[in-house]
Amino acid sequence: MVDVAIRGRGREPERSYRGRSPVARAMLYMVAFAVLGAIIIPVAYAVLGGFRDTAQLAASPVAFPDPWIFTNYLEVLGSGSFWEQVWNSTFIAVLTVALVLPAASLAAFVISRFSFRGREAVYTLFVLGLLFPVAVAILPLYIVIRELGLLNTTVGVALPQVAFQLPLSIVILRPFFASIPRELEEAAIIDGAGSLRFYWSVLLPLSRPVLATIAVLTVVTSWNAFLLPLVVLTDSAGWTLPIGVTNYSTQYTTDTARVLAYTTLAMIPALLFYAVAERQIVRGLVAKGIKG
Amino acid sequence: MTATQITAPPARQRRARKWPIILALLAPALILYVVFVIFPIGQAFRYSLFDWNGLQPLTDFVGTDNFSQAFEDPVFRGALTHNGIIVALTLLLQLPFALFLAVLLDQDLRGRSLMRLLFFAPYVLSEVVTAVVWRQIFRPGGLLDAGVSAATGEQFQGLWIADPDIVLYSVFFVVSWKYFGFHMILMLAGLQQIPDDLEEAAAIDGANWWQTFRHITVPLLGPTVRVSIFLAIIGSLQLFDLVWVMTGGGPVNASNTMATYLIDWAFRRFQFGYASAVSVIIFVLSLIVAIAYQRWALSRDLDGAITVRGA
Amino acid sequence: MRTKRSRLMLLLTVLAMVLAACGGGDGGGATDSTETTAGDSENTTTTADSGTDTTEAEPTEEPVTIEWWHIQNNDPGLSLWQAVADEFMAEHPNVTIDITVQENEAFKQALQTSLQAGDVPDIFQSWGGGGLREQVDAGLVMDITDAAAGFDSEFNGAAASMMEIDGRMYGVPFDLGIVGVWYNKALFEEAGIDGPPATWDEMLEDVQTLKDAGITPISLAAGDKWPAMFWYGYMALRIAGADVMQQAGIDENFNDPAFVQAGEELQRLIDLEPFQPGYLATPWDGPDGAAAVLANSEAAMMLMGHWAPGTMSANGPDLAADDNLGWFIFPEVEGGAGAATDAFGGGNGFAVGKDAPPEALEFLEYLSSVDVANRVGGEANLLPTTVGSEGSITDPNLVDVISARGEAGYVQLYLDQAYPPEVGAAVNDSIVTLFSGDGVPQDVVDAVNASWE
Repeated sequence: MVDVAIRGRGREPERSYRGRSPVARAMLYMVAFAVLGAIIIPVAYAVLGGFRDTAQLAASPVAFPDPWIFTNYLEVLGSGSFWEQVWNSTFIAVLTVALVLPAASLAAFVISRFSFRGREAVYTLFVLGLLFPVAVAILPLYIVIRELGLLNTTVGVALPQVAFQLPLSIVILRPFFASIPRELEEAAIIDGAGSLRFYWSVLLPLSRPVLATIAVLTVVTSWNAFLLPLVVLTDSAGWTLPIGVTNYSTQYTTDTARVLAYTTLAMIPALLFYAVAERQIVRGLVAKGIKG
Repeated sequence: MTATQITAPPARQRRARKWPIILALLAPALILYVVFVIFPIGQAFRYSLFDWNGLQPLTDFVGTDNFSQAFEDPVFRGALTHNGIIVALTLLLQLPFALFLAVLLDQDLRGRSLMRLLFFAPYVLSEVVTAVVWRQIFRPGGLLDAGVSAATGEQFQGLWIADPDIVLYSVFFVVSWKYFGFHMILMLAGLQQIPDDLEEAAAIDGANWWQTFRHITVPLLGPTVRVSIFLAIIGSLQLFDLVWVMTGGGPVNASNTMATYLIDWAFRRFQFGYASAVSVIIFVLSLIVAIAYQRWALSRDLDGAITVRGA
Repeated sequence: MRTKRSRLMLLLTVLAMVLAACGGGDGGGATDSTETTAGDSENTTTTADSGTDTTEAEPTEEPVTIEWWHIQNNDPGLSLWQAVADEFMAEHPNVTIDITVQENEAFKQALQTSLQAGDVPDIFQSWGGGGLREQVDAGLVMDITDAAAGFDSEFNGAAASMMEIDGRMYGVPFDLGIVGVWYNKALFEEAGIDGPPATWDEMLEDVQTLKDAGITPISLAAGDKWPAMFWYGYMALRIAGADVMQQAGIDENFNDPAFVQAGEELQRLIDLEPFQPGYLATPWDGPDGAAAVLANSEAAMMLMGHWAPGTMSANGPDLAADDNLGWFIFPEVEGGAGAATDAFGGGNGFAVGKDAPPEALEFLEYLSSVDVANRVGGEANLLPTTVGSEGSITDPNLVDVISARGEAGYVQLYLDQAYPPEVGAAVNDSIVTLFSGDGVPQDVVDAVNASWE
């Protein structure tokens, strides 16, 4: 059976090419640290900023919290609306991913491994969605959502998000799917499997890294989306985290320290998801080596 | 694999059987896409032919006037130039950097899981907080100034985002900072798909690291890199969120992109017809790039069944 | 909306990216040339539809819901409006007031999409002027002139005219402030300046004195553009005078020579380089904002509206608490046609949607009552617009502001609010270009005239 040929590796694959000199390795570490510094410092700034108040931030941009102010984080964590928004954001993100993965992978499967008339036209149609600035489409999109009766629903946010994620997902998936060797497919046919079975039992498992990548990109995009949820979710009980952050601004002023605390906390679930999914991206499976 | 002949069903039967499957599998994506993406885009195309403030009915047909107005506006032309600069810088600087980091993370360095996590963190941050933090870093007397002062020993005050001549480059830096993680994980996924056997085989044959990289890794990473390049170009043409919240396109339009220009005209000046026309222009430009790129680069990858090369 | 629905269905069935050639428009609305009459007839029709005459109608006992969108998304305003709504609902058990609160920028986007789809809230935040005019032209708001005339309380004249378009009223004001110069008394003392300048020449002298003392004279948030517009707007008002300013809005051009002169006078200030470093990108708010600069005593003066102390104390030490914060109105410009008491300002109001029930007007009458207005001033840090409520302001600096407002014979609405949004944006942009040293005063006039076409 074809399934037997697919084995998972129990550990992370390593690429330790023999002959790597210690000097080279040291230099790699230095570069890595430099990049890490460039990343950590701004992120740390955001995290630490939440422990100050806005006046501190204004008076001395480069300083540790003095005094350490815990109310920003505590009040955000203690506010019911924050957790409500976490739930809403999570629900919408999960729903979006759950729909994007099947829809995009099926479409990419067809486009990459079947030949039919109009194939390139369909692919180009999907690519077109990448080329158009979304924000201007928001007005007619709003009317569509309204006409479908989906205003103020999570589905009303998720479905358009799915639709807008399709182009990117298909563009990424297509070359990956296409690179699965034909021999695997033919082996499946010999064994009596139809296309769908091939898709489900062979293609998808082999594509775990790239599917996980799509999932991460979709989750992050959905997590940070602002404009679409803003105009669809009119009831504040349904608000997502990016909309919730506007509560710390008024017409005349913004509580920047509170915003930093809030957004730091809001970032954590998305990062956690990436941490989990990243193992899928990196672990991979034995690729095309067909045993036996 | 057995040596017996593979008998496939006759061609006509195969063709007849496949169309229902094709349509069925395409349907979910296609339906969602047409309703929520194609239709609104089509509407926007329609709006671009009118002078419309979003409130009145669509009555003021102006044909191509919006388009000519855009090209005659020095602010739009400036925005177009800025986009071009960002595309060039992205391809020359950001992508190679992302590739470098992906390869770096593929090595067995210690702590690389943590590094992978942290390198991706900027991409996860929302644009709002990215802008807030970097504005604090860039402000006169901010983190960057403090760093330079500490390094040079002199009190330094730079106008990183206040000087119209350098603001675009500061913005580019932040854009790279935020988005390199996207390209990095694409390339990581691509690297993971390269069979270890090939590299081990090459090593057995005496190839050093650089040779393996050049002759095995890079070619097999080709499709991924080409997708990355394509997305980077398109993304640079559409660049909006970060610029908008960091500089608003300023000062004095020095960091405007076509997208910030169009949002300004749509949601500040309430000229939706004109803004739709600008978005059509962005679309057409991106389309030209997409078609050209697809012909030249991507089509190579699509029939590629990467078979196992003999060791 | 029916034509839109059938079009949508058609497109869905065809599944093609075809531009719909046949367009059915939304009903109602008018083009510019017939704005007044069409606006009137549109609104008379809708008021008839909603079942009331333009005079006070007896509300029915049926359950009624009023949709209210406001932007006071933080306390004290948030609690105040909720309390006002609760009180009204207690008095009128059949009425439910559905409040949607949003932050300023989020509100603008949400409202825009809602209006464009034809859904108008019954009562919603408005800044009057050109934005309101566009809504009037599109037939989205209700003419409440007669209903408002029947209110028990009266509005400050300037405030009322903020919510008026061509003499008809489309909403009620609840806050009107004027712009003035906020200054750091300690820094003035340090530089040896006795008191606020009374004329423009004195102002320029003071700027030079401050510079010589090593103090940044002016904090300017040119990054947000509108603070720079304040300078130009006041200057134009001082030089041109109320009549010319009003006429410019009617004639839709800046051709009067006063507008160029205003730029030239400002140029004298700009040439002194009185602003903080990086002012071109400085936002108003935030730790890197102009408010923070003033609050942290890094500059001496700032031309800003009545919300300044609030933003400043959020971003730095509370200067007012140390009696360190003063206010004076924009100085007189010698030779200018404007009165020294004329003011430049703006505020907030609530517009009434075209389908609003009569209970909504009753609610607004309650909201505009002297009692509620006193609370608006006392609790919510706004400058209430109901005649008789001015005494509710206790903050000494705001007292200065509100009394100057009372003395003003004419209040010019912020230029980016008074004129249509497109023109307002052109005003802001061209003024910032002037401030960047890249333009000449004539450019402002040219840019504004071009945008009005």
